[in-house]
Amino acid sequence: MTDPIRPAEPLLVATDLVKSYGPVKAVQGVTFHCNPGEVLALVGENGAGKSTVAKMLAGAVTPTSGSITVAGEPLASGSVKQSRLSGVRCAFQELALVPDWTVAENLSLPDGAPLRGFSQKKSVVKAKALLESFHLPHIDPRAAVGTLSLADRQLVEIARALAGAPTLLILDEASSALTPPGVSWLFDRIRELTAAGGSVIYVSHRLGEIAEIADRGTVLRDGLVAGEFVRGGWTDDELISMMAGREAERFFPSPPPRTTDAVALSVTNLRAEGLAGIDLTLGAGEILGIGGLQGHGQAELLRALFGAAPAVADSWTVGSRRVSRTTPVRSVRNGLGYVPEDRKTEGLALEMSVGENLLAPWYRAYQLGGRPRLSRERGWIDGVLGALSVRTRGPNELAGSLSGGNQQKLVFGRWMNRSRSVILLHDPTRGIDVRAKQELYGAIVDLAKQGVGILWFSTEVEELVHVCHRVVVLYQGQVADELIDHRLTADNIVGAAVGATGSMAAQNAPLKTERAAG
Amino acid sequence: MSAITPTSTSTGLPARVWNGTGVVRLRREGAIAPIGAFVVFFVVYVIINPELLTRFQLQTAANLVVPLALVALGQLIIVLVGGIDISIGAIMSLCNVVFAVQLETMPVPVAVLLAIGTGLACGLFNGFLVAYGGLPAIAVTLASAFIFGSLAREVLDRPGGGITTEIYLATSGELLPFVPVSLVWLAVVAVLLWLLLQRTALGRHIYGVGSNMESVRAAGLNARLTKLLAFGLAGVITSLGAMMLAASTVTGDPRSGDPYLLSSIAAVALAGAAFTGGRGSIIGTILAACTLGLIGNLLFFAGVNSYWQYVISALIIVAVVGIPVVWRKAAFFAKGARS
Repeated sequence: MTDPIRPAEPLLVATDLVKSYGPVKAVQGVTFHCNPGEVLALVGENGAGKSTVAKMLAGAVTPTSGSITVAGEPLASGSVKQSRLSGVRCAFQELALVPDWTVAENLSLPDGAPLRGFSQKKSVVKAKALLESFHLPHIDPRAAVGTLSLADRQLVEIARALAGAPTLLILDEASSALTPPGVSWLFDRIRELTAAGGSVIYVSHRLGEIAEIADRGTVLRDGLVAGEFVRGGWTDDELISMMAGREAERFFPSPPPRTTDAVALSVTNLRAEGLAGIDLTLGAGEILGIGGLQGHGQAELLRALFGAAPAVADSWTVGSRRVSRTTPVRSVRNGLGYVPEDRKTEGLALEMSVGENLLAPWYRAYQLGGRPRLSRERGWIDGVLGALSVRTRGPNELAGSLSGGNQQKLVFGRWMNRSRSVILLHDPTRGIDVRAKQELYGAIVDLAKQGVGILWFSTEVEELVHVCHRVVVLYQGQVADELIDHRLTADNIVGAAVGATGSMAAQNAPLKTERAAG
Repeated sequence: MSAITPTSTSTGLPARVWNGTGVVRLRREGAIAPIGAFVVFFVVYVIINPELLTRFQLQTAANLVVPLALVALGQLIIVLVGGIDISIGAIMSLCNVVFAVQLETMPVPVAVLLAIGTGLACGLFNGFLVAYGGLPAIAVTLASAFIFGSLAREVLDRPGGGITTEIYLATSGELLPFVPVSLVWLAVVAVLLWLLLQRTALGRHIYGVGSNMESVRAAGLNARLTKLLAFGLAGVITSLGAMMLAASTVTGDPRSGDPYLLSSIAAVALAGAAFTGGRGSIIGTILAACTLGLIGNLLFFAGVNSYWQYVISALIIVAVVGIPVVWRKAAFFAKGARS
């Protein structure tokens, strides 16, 4: 035990962390530790509380109870500045860079007092040296961060966290927008840091990356520690079942057999912000999955098809109707429905009632509203609420008081039995519990049986594999691959999503690719 | 290492060259359109009324636009942190009468400091409620507008005060032939403010807080303090405008600030600043204020009824703010059709 960094004494100890938002407990008693020079993975499904724990460590969120110590000293909770001073740096999942600041400003401004002078020139020189020392010379320190690509922003964010030579680096899904060479760049930096005695907490749900980099890991489920693992002592299946809290095979309904070849939606060479020409055909009664990493055009595709973002195409038909340009109002009239990304801001009016939220697309300005309308539509509302088993006290309850899963059902339910021909889904099962997921799967399959074409973007690969007839994977705003029948596997989706060619199957292979993809 | 970028930037090199110049920053801050608008306006003005370039008219015009420009800069700072100041006219009235009344008894520097202190106190009052109370800026400043307005009438209930000719000459006379003093003061304030906003960390924090408050907090910076200081700074700049107005009219008036509320917001809008915060430029705001401030004069010389002043101001704002938006849309569809 002559080692100066005694491994017996952990660098970070988190004891019994609890964080509740009102009645909702996001984290309910999480205990773990991290040794010096170690990479600790924090894994779990969406909504398991990983990000909340990471934010508590970084000081961005104050724990309701529990304690955190770094190198024996208690960490001042709820102050990012204090955390930074104790050598804890975090690269956040939602990027914490200021879009109107330049790269140099984002790198240098967080350090130092507000009343100090600030020299653009010096900060640019410093930022340039920093970016070069991290092998990122292609990023211009004078460019405003808002003009950079998502991946570059993430690289800057990581570089900023690394810049202070932290003793503890927290990477909260920091690789979500990175390409395989970007990920190997990140791993090189992590190894440099741990070789120098720093520790890393790696929050992720990408098992391939965890297999490569993590020394130990803690699995979170529903805000609790579900288990721990050490390097080499686990398999994907074990970890998945630990994360999910049941055997690895989860129940997914199969897509219904298709009864017709009619086309519900077809578009060729669709162009919009973030889309570089997309050809797509969606049949009636077909469930077409959209795969890919975040920021490769999935959100833009759905928004463009619904008319929420300007887009042009060479040819564009919905049903038998030709479309040149569309707006959300026209899209609804043409028989489209859309479940947007963020149910709280885009999907619902939280201060309005459940019934009014369901009816939202069907109000005309001259029609009745309020209670008279609700009682007239009572049959349809009760049908939707029943079919999706929405847990609510009735159509007059405020939408904001429902749980996330039930809110999501409302956003989805407003399109049911309204003679839709196409429904666009933006990751409808994100952050909702297993039961609500099952109910949504059932509803989606039912709609497909009725002949509705479903375009379904999901970040959960398993959903795409099991519930979809066909999956299209986007990469850099283009269709990278189309997967059907025996080629429709999780490995192929992941491979195509990171820009590897369609046939690269092994799970870890894309991560080791050195070749620039695309 | 370019392999790390997923998007191959063929336009990367020219962008890099541009990033080194100030033009990119001006464009991001929305200043190009108001600068262009001012140049056009100025040329039209000189064609219709070449007399502007005489000593007397230059001095009068400067005295007319400088208070507005200063108040607009105050409003700009509030808008930069994502707020809006409805009380700015009332703060101006209050500082104006405090300055005029104190001059009756106190030496000039004391009166100046008291007026600045009044502006600072008003700004900090608003800022504290907004930054630390978490109240919306529009509600806080609307309420405080009534308070400050009443206080101004309490201090001086009718136009008056002790402003002397010396003070008029020091603020609104001529420094040299063809160089009005008021423009010199405006330039001094603008340069100092530019140094503060662009060359200190606090200034960059002000832009950052308006751009994305959560990001600034996540970076470990004190976003609330930044907001508070921004409101205080705006109060100080507003008090400078109030003193310039009092001195150039040689009187203190408890209603003098009222018309500056809407004009200051109009100037900031014309300057291309984002009302959600984070974007806006000093030079754009000053030139926008000059444009708006001189429209009345221009119409007088053109022989148009002065009531049209507001319609013309409105058209200029809509045109200058609207052209970039239309331009972007047209460019998108042109690009889409070509590729």
